[in-house]
Amino acid sequence: MPDARYQISVDIGGTFVDAMELDQETHRIRFRKASTTPAEPWRGVIDAVDALGTDLGAVGLFIHGTTLGLNAVLERRGEVTGIITNDGMADIFLIGRGNIPSSHMYDFRYERPPALVERRHTIGVRGRLDHRGREIEALDEDGVREAADHLVALGVRSIAVCFLHSYRDPAHEQRTAEIVRAAHPEITVSTSTSIAREYREYERTATTVLDAYIRPIFERYVGDLERELAARGFAGRFLIMRSGGGSMTAAAAQRSPTNTVLSGPAGGIVGGCHLADVLGRRDLLTVDIGGTSLDACVIEGGAAASAFEAELEHYPLLVPIYDIRTIGAGGGSIAWLDGGLLKVGPRSAGAVPGPVCYGRGGLDPTVTDAAVCLGYVDPASFLSGTMQLAGDAAIAAVESTLAGPLGVTVEQAAAGVFDVLLARTVGAVRQITVERGHDPRSFSLVAFGGAGPLIAPLLAREMGIAEVVVPADPSGFSAWGMLGADLMDDVSRTVLGLLDDFDVDALGELFAELDGEAMAAIGEQGVDAADVVFERQIELRYLGQEHALPVAFSESVDLASLRKSFEELHLARYGHAMDNRLQVLNVRVRAIGRAERPAIPVLPPGDGDPARARVVPRLAYDFGTRATVEFDVYDRTRLQPGDVLAGPVLVDEGTATTVVHSGQRVEVEEHGFLLVTAVPA
Amino acid sequence: VSAHRARPAEPGSAVSDGATTEVVRSYLVAAAEEMRATLIRTAFNPVIYEVLDFGISIYDAEMRAIAEAPGLTMFLGANDYSLRMGVEYVGLGELHRGDVVMLNYPYWNAAHAYDATMFAPVFEPPADADGGSGDDGVLLGFVCVRAHWMDLGAKDPGYVLDSTDVHQEGILFPGTKVFERGVLNHQVVELIRFNSRMPELVIGDMHAQVAALRTGERRLVEVVGKFGRAVVDAAVEEFLGHAERATREALLALPQGSWSAVDWLDDDGISAEPVRMEVTVTIRDGSFIVDFAGSSPATTGPVNMPFGSTIASARVAFKSITSPFAQNNHGFMAPLEVRAEPGTLFHAVYPAPTFTQWTGNQAVELIFKAVAQGLGDTMPACSGGDVPGFMMVGIHPDTGELFAISNNDVVGWGATATHDGAGPLNHPCQTVARNTPMEVMEARTGMRFERLEISADSGGAGRFRGGCGVRRDIVFVSDGEFLSVIKKTKSAPWALAGGLSPVPNRVIAFAGTDRERAISTERLVVKAGDRVRLLTAGGGGHGDPAERDPAAIRRDLDQGYITAGAAREHYGYET
Repeated sequence: MPDARYQISVDIGGTFVDAMELDQETHRIRFRKASTTPAEPWRGVIDAVDALGTDLGAVGLFIHGTTLGLNAVLERRGEVTGIITNDGMADIFLIGRGNIPSSHMYDFRYERPPALVERRHTIGVRGRLDHRGREIEALDEDGVREAADHLVALGVRSIAVCFLHSYRDPAHEQRTAEIVRAAHPEITVSTSTSIAREYREYERTATTVLDAYIRPIFERYVGDLERELAARGFAGRFLIMRSGGGSMTAAAAQRSPTNTVLSGPAGGIVGGCHLADVLGRRDLLTVDIGGTSLDACVIEGGAAASAFEAELEHYPLLVPIYDIRTIGAGGGSIAWLDGGLLKVGPRSAGAVPGPVCYGRGGLDPTVTDAAVCLGYVDPASFLSGTMQLAGDAAIAAVESTLAGPLGVTVEQAAAGVFDVLLARTVGAVRQITVERGHDPRSFSLVAFGGAGPLIAPLLAREMGIAEVVVPADPSGFSAWGMLGADLMDDVSRTVLGLLDDFDVDALGELFAELDGEAMAAIGEQGVDAADVVFERQIELRYLGQEHALPVAFSESVDLASLRKSFEELHLARYGHAMDNRLQVLNVRVRAIGRAERPAIPVLPPGDGDPARARVVPRLAYDFGTRATVEFDVYDRTRLQPGDVLAGPVLVDEGTATTVVHSGQRVEVEEHGFLLVTAVPA
Repeated sequence: VSAHRARPAEPGSAVSDGATTEVVRSYLVAAAEEMRATLIRTAFNPVIYEVLDFGISIYDAEMRAIAEAPGLTMFLGANDYSLRMGVEYVGLGELHRGDVVMLNYPYWNAAHAYDATMFAPVFEPPADADGGSGDDGVLLGFVCVRAHWMDLGAKDPGYVLDSTDVHQEGILFPGTKVFERGVLNHQVVELIRFNSRMPELVIGDMHAQVAALRTGERRLVEVVGKFGRAVVDAAVEEFLGHAERATREALLALPQGSWSAVDWLDDDGISAEPVRMEVTVTIRDGSFIVDFAGSSPATTGPVNMPFGSTIASARVAFKSITSPFAQNNHGFMAPLEVRAEPGTLFHAVYPAPTFTQWTGNQAVELIFKAVAQGLGDTMPACSGGDVPGFMMVGIHPDTGELFAISNNDVVGWGATATHDGAGPLNHPCQTVARNTPMEVMEARTGMRFERLEISADSGGAGRFRGGCGVRRDIVFVSDGEFLSVIKKTKSAPWALAGGLSPVPNRVIAFAGTDRERAISTERLVVKAGDRVRLLTAGGGGHGDPAERDPAAIRRDLDQGYITAGAAREHYGYET
């Protein structure tokens, strides 16, 4: 589509849909919000696109992040799902690993939430492999047919297939899927090895069940959205964000929706990587603070940290995923007293009823209400004045629930809410850098999400982080980040062999096989072989360990250099290395079709006098001096590169406020990012 | 006078407010969590990273626990006892910056000899780069990590099921410095290497524990540096006091009284005689007294409990009743008092064997059984009664190397006055542990599994039904030893309020042959082709089965949790 002038990205959150438009001629970005419409999620997307008013006929790329799959699991709205597994093993999914959530470890009255699959919808068939993948019993094909007929007769519409040791040989699973599809073409079938060819039967089964459970509704949703976009003239490329980085075509996402369950937050991380490039910072911490949670992720050497096992509602999910650490601490987190101790969260007021100041019936004071008490949020201009806040109600709630019983002022109580919120946050955020062997103080912190710029400068101060970067439109940063997402595909294989038993040629052959699979998957999505970059990893551990460390693999390495890389990493992460034997756990290949990232133009320097942007000052609480003082207030849209403002100062931009305390300063750098730093003592 | 005696806070120097107290507490908990993450990610044996068979805690200078990270449920505060005994043995004045002390002497360690407790004193300020000057500075507190080790040279590989004194249970460390002033003592490491059948794993785990301790040490120093000693001390007093007050208030709100219960262990591993356990629980004036008087004298076999382990068991039951959702510290445990006469089952003294002291698993439920008489509808019925654990030891046919891999199977939980028992789940004494995947066991042992499924009718009937147990069929593909580790197969889990007891746990050796027999704890020599079947117990029922909602009976039939025969027999329900 040579004349396509625009790209659009859309991120669905719990409360709002964010839509970004990139004009590739002018490099201008426009940002609009619409309300989330849970009953028919595509409507909110279309509302946000309509709000932008872009001519969809001139849009070459529509890229989308959605948590539809996640919500289907949370609300138990997925398809009626059944399981076909080995004879005698039908309860693998229901038994799981036998553990209960650690928040309930002393709760002997614990009840499990309803499972995604009813027990009567699980069935075993004969056929068995051993741990080396040798067939010790042939697949009972008639048994498969009978099992499928039985499940379909019970009303099952989607079937998950997972057999023991199938990661060694997927043939039984593949044959089972063929038989079921032939007999019942209307039924969705998911096989474990097509999603995650890795060992551990419960984790692989749970991943497959989640896929089967959400796939039909995901297919419908993408179909609805494609139809509505087409009706408005869209004929460009439709991509969906992957939870573990990059994007995939809508058609590929319909085939493997588990890769999308956390695709919204992934946009912010991709954006963070892009920003790292543009700013020339190698190590960043992304901190996304919304209504219910704080999501943090490490970007080291320009690349985001990944994990290969996520957890969704206590179900393990063997899909590549950004290693995002979520802390139940956001704007909606409720502050309460526990016998004289001030606590914040983990309960959240959510979007409904929301904080007291939203005036939607919320009675418990939240972090947002504390922010109103401290003067950071101007009730009259919240969300550019589109939503009037009940500031008095927030103050009254903090007074009666917290300040009164504690015997302190409203200001002290509200400041205490921030203190406790930070204390809960600092340890968890620090842990993700320390786990990777880094000192968080050497990182820059990228703040986004509606409450990110409000809290992040304090978080940086608390952690000794030198610099906070606030991008424009921080509440829509995740949508912005999607605009530069590469097309990607991941394949993996569990190996479980001693490193010393391999020769490099054998490893090379295994990787070549995986390269081929990944290339086929990404080629199907329209990427030319010549444009594909491969990232190859070999996961090593000391024999006996559970957690492995990834080491890059290329044709030029030998076993000794692999060992050396592993030992260096182990020493950096854990402080020791040993002579023990090494085991290869998994090998992984990621195929990447590079996308063009949106240009971030350098802006002309300003006149150096920020007075042009100055608006009415207001009283707010300064954590530098722990007192309420007058803060200068600036309108971000009128600031120019080169402007420097000394704290205490507030920078307003309609959908977010950056709060800079005394002892800190904020500078507008050449691309328009705000940089908050400590003033040298 | 020692240069580093604990220095109390200046009187009146800092009064902590509710926010500061919570801020300091959060920082300390984060430090313990970071220790936990370090241990899990560096540990070598699956009993640590899957079963979470470890305990992690941080102490103030008076050895009061100020933060814990979740590990094995049964290790709740077990470090407290070990730390006190270890410090007493070494001597406070002999502890220096950089020291790491190891302790596994069961009677001091609140555990059997394969649980190694390691602790380090923490001093302020941190060591200079040159290290090792004479003055250690002020003692801030201690960090402590215990974890299960795979082998310390006991009489048999894997678990020891029939020892008759402690010297058959592995090499003993009474409080030995593995690090002295930051320097590793290679002689101790070599002693371990030459006394273990699996030295790579054991020494790897030791390093993992040290890494966790070092993490905790750094963080504790940082917290004190950040807030100042006086503020931290004031906050600690405040949150420990708050925890204790909240717990005493919870106790005062409960029915007051004294209740006793009796239950039986299958045997002691030597004779076939059941072993009597008795407990009397008294709730009075904001205190909770657990007295094991009436229990068996010390046994010949290794089911005896070191007193520290007995305290830990009582703590689990106590916490679940008074503060199940609070992050633990010394204050929450202060109202608990535990009594057991030295020389009895619940207070082992030298040289009594203690290796299979999973007696504590049953002690937790025994306390519930006593308390249920007074607390009525707030308590669940019995949850399977014990942990149905097993292990295989042998030489791996693929590698020719020794393996010893264990698994703890799930049971059904007891029903309550308001809902059916959950499950199958791990026994309440190890709620966050995970079972071992079959794909892992088949790859690493000589076992293959022919069946693992929920067993119908295994939950005790009642107005609310007990959760179901499972059936697991094992066929051996290579020779070796199969260790059944369970002590409750001869008596049934108890029900409440007119509910029915479920069938007890069963372990069937050589199933389907003329050698078939029921076993409890046993070390069984097996050959390729032999079979063992486990049937784990469900939970006890709650309330009269006649009062069960017919819709619930239909649902259970639909989902296969009960059979038509049982529906008729227990509920009078005709299909």
